[in-house]
Amino acid sequence: MNLLKRMYRNETSVPFSKLWKPITLCSLAVLILSIGGLGFRGLNLGLEFEGGGAWEVPAENIQAEEVRDALRPLGIADARIQTGGGVLRVRTELSKVTQNALDSGGESDPIVAQVTTILAQITQQDESAVSVSTAGPSWGEEITNKAIKALIVFFIVIALYITIRLRWEMAVGALVAVAHDIAITVGIYALFQFEVTPPTVIAFLTIMGYSLYDTLVVFDKVRDNEHRLSNAKLSYTEIVEKALNQVFMRSVNTSITSILPVVSVLIVGSGIMGAVTLREFALALLIGLIIGTFSSLFIAAPCATVLRNKFGNADSDKRSYRLSEAVRRRSKSSVPVAHSTPSNPAIPPRPRKNKRR
Amino acid sequence: MKRQVLFPILGIILIVGGLLSWSIAAGNSVLLGLDLEGGAEVVLEPAEDTELTGSALDEALDRSVEIIRNRVDGLGVAEPDITRQSNRIVVQLPGVEDQQRALEVVGQTAELRFRPVCATLPPMPIETDGEQTGDNATTNEGPVGLLPSDADDLPQEGPEIDANQDNAGATPEGIGCENLGFTQNDALGMPNTIADDDIAENPVILPVLDSEGNPYQRLLLGRTMLTGAALETADATFAGLEWSVFPTFRSGEEGIDLFNAAASACYNRQPTCQVGQLAIVLDGVIESAPTVNTPYFERDQIVISGNFDQTRAEDTALVLRYGSLPLEFGDPTDPTSGSRVRLVSATLGQDSLDAGIIAGIVGLALVALYMFAYYKLLGVAAMLSLAISGTMLWVILSWLSETRSLAVTLAGVVGLIVSIGTSLDSNVVYFEHLKEDIRNGRTLRSAVDQSFPIAFKTIFWANLASLIGAAILYILTVGSVRGFALMLGLASILDLLATYFFLRPAVKFMGMQNALQNRPWLSGLPVVEKEEQK
Repeated sequence: MNLLKRMYRNETSVPFSKLWKPITLCSLAVLILSIGGLGFRGLNLGLEFEGGGAWEVPAENIQAEEVRDALRPLGIADARIQTGGGVLRVRTELSKVTQNALDSGGESDPIVAQVTTILAQITQQDESAVSVSTAGPSWGEEITNKAIKALIVFFIVIALYITIRLRWEMAVGALVAVAHDIAITVGIYALFQFEVTPPTVIAFLTIMGYSLYDTLVVFDKVRDNEHRLSNAKLSYTEIVEKALNQVFMRSVNTSITSILPVVSVLIVGSGIMGAVTLREFALALLIGLIIGTFSSLFIAAPCATVLRNKFGNADSDKRSYRLSEAVRRRSKSSVPVAHSTPSNPAIPPRPRKNKRR
Repeated sequence: MKRQVLFPILGIILIVGGLLSWSIAAGNSVLLGLDLEGGAEVVLEPAEDTELTGSALDEALDRSVEIIRNRVDGLGVAEPDITRQSNRIVVQLPGVEDQQRALEVVGQTAELRFRPVCATLPPMPIETDGEQTGDNATTNEGPVGLLPSDADDLPQEGPEIDANQDNAGATPEGIGCENLGFTQNDALGMPNTIADDDIAENPVILPVLDSEGNPYQRLLLGRTMLTGAALETADATFAGLEWSVFPTFRSGEEGIDLFNAAASACYNRQPTCQVGQLAIVLDGVIESAPTVNTPYFERDQIVISGNFDQTRAEDTALVLRYGSLPLEFGDPTDPTSGSRVRLVSATLGQDSLDAGIIAGIVGLALVALYMFAYYKLLGVAAMLSLAISGTMLWVILSWLSETRSLAVTLAGVVGLIVSIGTSLDSNVVYFEHLKEDIRNGRTLRSAVDQSFPIAFKTIFWANLASLIGAAILYILTVGSVRGFALMLGLASILDLLATYFFLRPAVKFMGMQNALQNRPWLSGLPVVEKEEQK
């Protein structure tokens, strides 16, 4: 209770720098586990990546065996059949779909249409109630390639952006954090064999955007503190730690507001209402959001700090000092409250037309 | 003083309300993607053995898009979306009812056909009194109506399917216009040939459109005399005083010889081509119907001239070039062909949409509860700010739907739900800043003013990073990823605007209320304890 109260009032003084080492080690272990999982188990790729055919039809109270028997004459009794959530799903491999297309030689309907007919029959519905999709393996590959290309460009642009806006050490820290988030999320997908579909890839991409937003909020505070605390003879690590404590509640809150809707999508949308596609998005998002918040505080920040302590040179300090001088001069007129100084002289203070009484 | 704060708040509410009512008045509504509405998506990839490369392939693909668009228009789909994505053609038919049929229509290969003109008919079918009935297919008093499509596949059997034609016999044998199986008089009363009945070996009736797309006459065309396969290429050139089209045929039996046979028949007004015109038809559209002026042509000395302007001439040349090597696509039901299909049933689409909406509402409610519990009245301001940006998002989306036929897919809906959270992030950043300032000894009133620029700077740069990410995603990816990126990007921008133009004055207004200053528990802001002040 006491802790909660302190958190609410933002009076936490978590010794972040002491936590960094053990937490980084834990993170590293999880990372290794993730990569190992990816290496040994691989990803459970969806239809769009492996190719094949998939059918979906609303159906209550239908047994998988019943469906399997009905599909046996087509030679696809080994299809993956899922029931539940009021929806029957059937998925079969690429080779089956193609083989049959060749066998039929145009004489009978292709297997895709035949399965549709059968599913419509056993669920006693019109064929138009059946959703069908077929895909070759190239489609998912293309989406992934595009996503990877987008990721690389994104990394470069963001690295430049943070270097110009903040510091190159922070750019490295932010990117390490983003990479960490994506690696762990993908690793979890491999370990638990969750199905990877194009929506999942989209969700992975969103994670990086979110993780970055969070990290930037943290770094912005650090940068602010660099200016303010420059004559307080604090070490860089202490400056960062102070900043982390200041943004801690902010981080927790922004995470909660982001996670709540995603949880709702996962539980209400996909769990209760059975929209599978929603789960494909929401699961990756949820994992990514949680890890993203964590990594801003425990990966990005220490990474930037270590780099800064190691490579921080007089030049950049001087630059930072000049900046803070400029800030101080400019804000002289305003009430001398420690936290009121805008950190970036590039942004002039909002002109105030009418003085406050 | 108060007025100066209230003014922008009322202003923004008026603007947003105005835009919303404009949007509603204009009847803009958000289009649903086919994964939400149900429908068909077909992605066509050129068959692997296609000989086309480079610009020829490019041209053929563009041409195919147009052809498919023409065909799809006949399907009665409200918002068909046919686009090229590099070497693929993506056809989206949200809400299409007969999905199997859509698949067939989209996947066919278009063939360029040269058909003789048998007669010119008025633009609309005319009721003829003596409707002929009889099985004698060999006389000119033959069965009424064109033969159903399956008669072509199985010429020996009588048609079993088409019930409209109680008297249709076997296809009468013949070339061009001879022996059509019905009279010109019958033809007057016959409707235009529909795509399914447009068979190379059968006569057809097709409309000729004027420049505004209205039919001004119809042509009764005989059986196909040669196809685009006989053509090698074609060009449009400004020769003499006008634009003309210069087709070049292949040499030999399968090329120029076929054409010359047709040309001489037309030139001599033989029964196969009484009128003397040879129509060029691509996929049920008469591109041109030139009169043949010589009985014999060299394969590369042919000129089609007469009233072409540059566009018409170039279009016709393109049609001929494309017709020489029509693009064949992989079968969408055979996934290895690279083509693919997705048919979403309307029920499942609706289910997904419902699930998305309900999940969104529940998520929103949870967030609202949390914001209220944590930030009290500030939380209310945050939710109002969210409502403002949400309304704007709706206005923009429905506007884009209307003007750019942008459809919201499931990915977009998820993007929207995710952006609820990210939009509130900005509010949280500001509020935490506010709390911090107050803890540091500021009065509510001054903290409200002081902390906004600093917080907004952070919000601005962080949102800019999100925006860069969304823009990169939008530019570099395709399909649903794009919709998602667009949604996140829009939400980022709107979030900035709502924070600046609504949240700031709203919180300022709250800061001015004495009632609030005296009751910190109402604002969710910390109580400034005595010992904290100097």
